[in-house]
Amino acid sequence: MTDIDKLRTEFLDLEFDRAGFVLEADTSIKIAKAYGETRPEFIDPSHPDFQACLPILASLASGRRLPIDFPSLGGLSMDGGKAVSSIAPVKLGVPLTGRTHLHDIYAKSGRSGTMVFLVSRMQLYDNEGTHLASTDSRQVIREKPA
Amino acid sequence: MTVEVLSDVEFGMELPAFEPDTTLAASRSFAEAAGYTGNGRFEDHDKARAQGLPSALVPGIMGLGLLTKMINDWAPRGTVKQIDTVFRAPVLADHEHVVTAVVTDIDEDEGQIVLDLSIKNKKDETRVFGTATVAIPLT
Repeated sequence: MTDIDKLRTEFLDLEFDRAGFVLEADTSIKIAKAYGETRPEFIDPSHPDFQACLPILASLASGRRLPIDFPSLGGLSMDGGKAVSSIAPVKLGVPLTGRTHLHDIYAKSGRSGTMVFLVSRMQLYDNEGTHLASTDSRQVIREKPA
Repeated sequence: MTVEVLSDVEFGMELPAFEPDTTLAASRSFAEAAGYTGNGRFEDHDKARAQGLPSALVPGIMGLGLLTKMINDWAPRGTVKQIDTVFRAPVLADHEHVVTAVVTDIDEDEGQIVLDLSIKNKKDETRVFGTATVAIPLT
């Protein structure tokens, strides 16, 4: 049985990754058009409020994003969901910095066993240090029966 | 039907449901745009089944996009401030789905509303659910 309290004490709210990158306008437009977006601020680079669509921000949190020393919990890992909080429009083609930490660790138990939820949060900043958005990735691990 | 200002919104109001394109071609197109191609799980039923999946999947963030599109179409002057999606079960490519939302809170001081969101298949099984907070202009 995973010691959730111990994991929370050791890993919550500690930045474990910081990376710089640029979100390309063409990529965001292609993604927006692929899900049927029609709002010009997401598909028209000439629009004064042209900005990144939310799914491209959510994609930043994809994959297994955990601290390098986070213990293996075994079990079956699944993508449990994504969240995006938008504070200010994220401009495209400009340098951004993503800082990632474990935002939450919790467990739910039922008749079929226990599932552990790991929520990784990437906070996006521009070059001036303005916090633009946060993206969460919820990883679900179904524990192997004892 | 669309809403322009907050006073157009009523508690319990349902957004116009829509049936998104969740064909394999649409899934593949989104995966190519997002750089998710390569292992076949979003592009090829046989390759997905070889990985133990029931069939090819619609990418999870495409579901988030479909929900965002519904909100943006309904409130063309609104801004999605927050969206949280729970992937309860895979959205299978080449299966028909319906995207729905209902207004569950209205904050007239902040000019924001809260929506409950879902993507269901034709068996009425919820595949994705979540919430969104949307800013709507007061005037």
